[in-house]
Amino acid sequence: MKRYRRLLQTNATGMYFILPAILVVVLLLIYPILSSLYFSFTTKHLIRPQVKFIGFENYISILTNPDFYVAFANSIKWTIVSITGQLLVGFTAALALNRIPKLKGLYRTLLIIPWAFPVIVIAISWKWILNGVSGFIPNILVNIGATDELVQFFANPDLVFWTVVAVNIWFGAPLFMVNVLSALQTIPAEQYEAAQIDGASSFQSFWHITLRHVRVVIGLLLVLRTIWIFNNFELVYLLTGGGPADLTMTLPIFAYNTGWGLKQLGVASAITVLLLIFLLCVCFLYFKLLDKWEKEDEM
Amino acid sequence: MGMKRRWLGNSVSYIYLTILAAVATFPLLWIISSSFKSPGEMVGSPLSFFPKEPTLLYYDRVLNVLNFDVNIVNSIIVALSATFISIVISALAAYGIVRFFPRVGKVMTRVLITTYLFPPILLAIPYSILITKVQLANSLVGLVITYLSFSIPYAVWLMIGFFRTVPLEIEEAARVDGANKLMVFYRIALPVVAPGIVAVAVYTFINAWNEFLFSLILINSTGKMPVSVALYSLTGAEILDWGEMMAASVLVILPSVIFFLIIQNKIAGGLTQGSVK
Repeated sequence: MKRYRRLLQTNATGMYFILPAILVVVLLLIYPILSSLYFSFTTKHLIRPQVKFIGFENYISILTNPDFYVAFANSIKWTIVSITGQLLVGFTAALALNRIPKLKGLYRTLLIIPWAFPVIVIAISWKWILNGVSGFIPNILVNIGATDELVQFFANPDLVFWTVVAVNIWFGAPLFMVNVLSALQTIPAEQYEAAQIDGASSFQSFWHITLRHVRVVIGLLLVLRTIWIFNNFELVYLLTGGGPADLTMTLPIFAYNTGWGLKQLGVASAITVLLLIFLLCVCFLYFKLLDKWEKEDEM
Repeated sequence: MGMKRRWLGNSVSYIYLTILAAVATFPLLWIISSSFKSPGEMVGSPLSFFPKEPTLLYYDRVLNVLNFDVNIVNSIIVALSATFISIVISALAAYGIVRFFPRVGKVMTRVLITTYLFPPILLAIPYSILITKVQLANSLVGLVITYLSFSIPYAVWLMIGFFRTVPLEIEEAARVDGANKLMVFYRIALPVVAPGIVAVAVYTFINAWNEFLFSLILINSTGKMPVSVALYSLTGAEILDWGEMMAASVLVILPSVIFFLIIQNKIAGGLTQGSVK
């Protein structure tokens, strides 16, 4: 015991191990974010050199801009719908994979492929498949008689949002599937047998055993994916650029357009700071819930 | 009764998984097929899966006219450098946390999740200003530096899980023999977790290879672009050449998919298997 303590006590040398990582976090995360916070109170411009401190003016101009609320509402809708879809598809796929006796590995490998796609290739391949002239899906829909004309998935105002959501579900469901599957595989079979002997219905076993075991994993995935989807700039930007008519305009694209389109980096910083504050609140609530579940699991 | 229900449940599962597998793999198969189609077939027969007259025309144009090979080399340089630096820093940090600061493990996990919270677009603004200030705009070095911001927290997080599995006893034995801490780390702990670290390295490489936003903002000359942004620049042409985009996409995605499938068992479950708890 003494020797163990000696090994643990020497924290000073332990610091050398984590020092480089701390430096990276400070220089590449904390410092840039603080400087962004500072820029958000200034007239920082992409090209013009002079910078003036203007207090909360950027924030006021954003919060009185109706376009901001459009983007905010779109972001929330896009996050909730996408994450629900990813969870449903990923969870059901994991349940199916967990019960089949054969070919588990093959199906898992095939289903995981979208995860490896670079975002630019996701955008290009789906734009090609859904292309309104020679795309596979619009043409096959006409071919089987489902539609009379070639469907314009990215130009039709009723469809564009759902098209982007569908692509996001396609991309994100495998991550849910794989992680839920590995949680499912840790459930001891005896628990189900015991429940069966006690006369539990299969729904009861599912509710009390399966869901209870995987909920912390699902909760954590929901935190991570909410953040990722809410923050995601590339996928929507590359698929639609926020259009048509701002129907798929999300906050990150709004910030990008303000910063690099209008060249107002100060205003763009303020938008991203608001984005971060909102996410911090959401995460705080999630962590509260996760803590509660983890405590219950330990009991 | 039980048998029959199980059989039914399995059949439904197989049908469901087959449909999902078809949807999951279709885009990859379709862009590969399209990249070999002749220009006429590309627009003329949008439903045929196998090219009637397979051609390497687009690959030739992408590599020899658009000089995409330069971008591929750029991406390899950037991704390899970012991976190497990340792995060294992260392995040290993860080991340090597990061995010397075990109590803060849970706090660290939360801190790492918090860094994941920072919107890339939030970082993009200060990066574009700071990287320009230190004269690294439009350079691969600048790109590598920004990649560390997302690769290191994630790699540390995954590796904490691996180092927890190293028994203290074997390190203790080496300490008795007079090895110092760095040697214990390098000679004893590192070899035990090496397979996991290789997987994290490959995953870091894929993420760097796939990165888009920072390259879009920091790189503006074609010769310096990594593949993701070079591919994006094709989508801005006045007359879109889908064939070229397909061939370039295949060149970009193949390394990703192949590497990913090799390490899938190590990484995919690892997110929740222990690294988090």
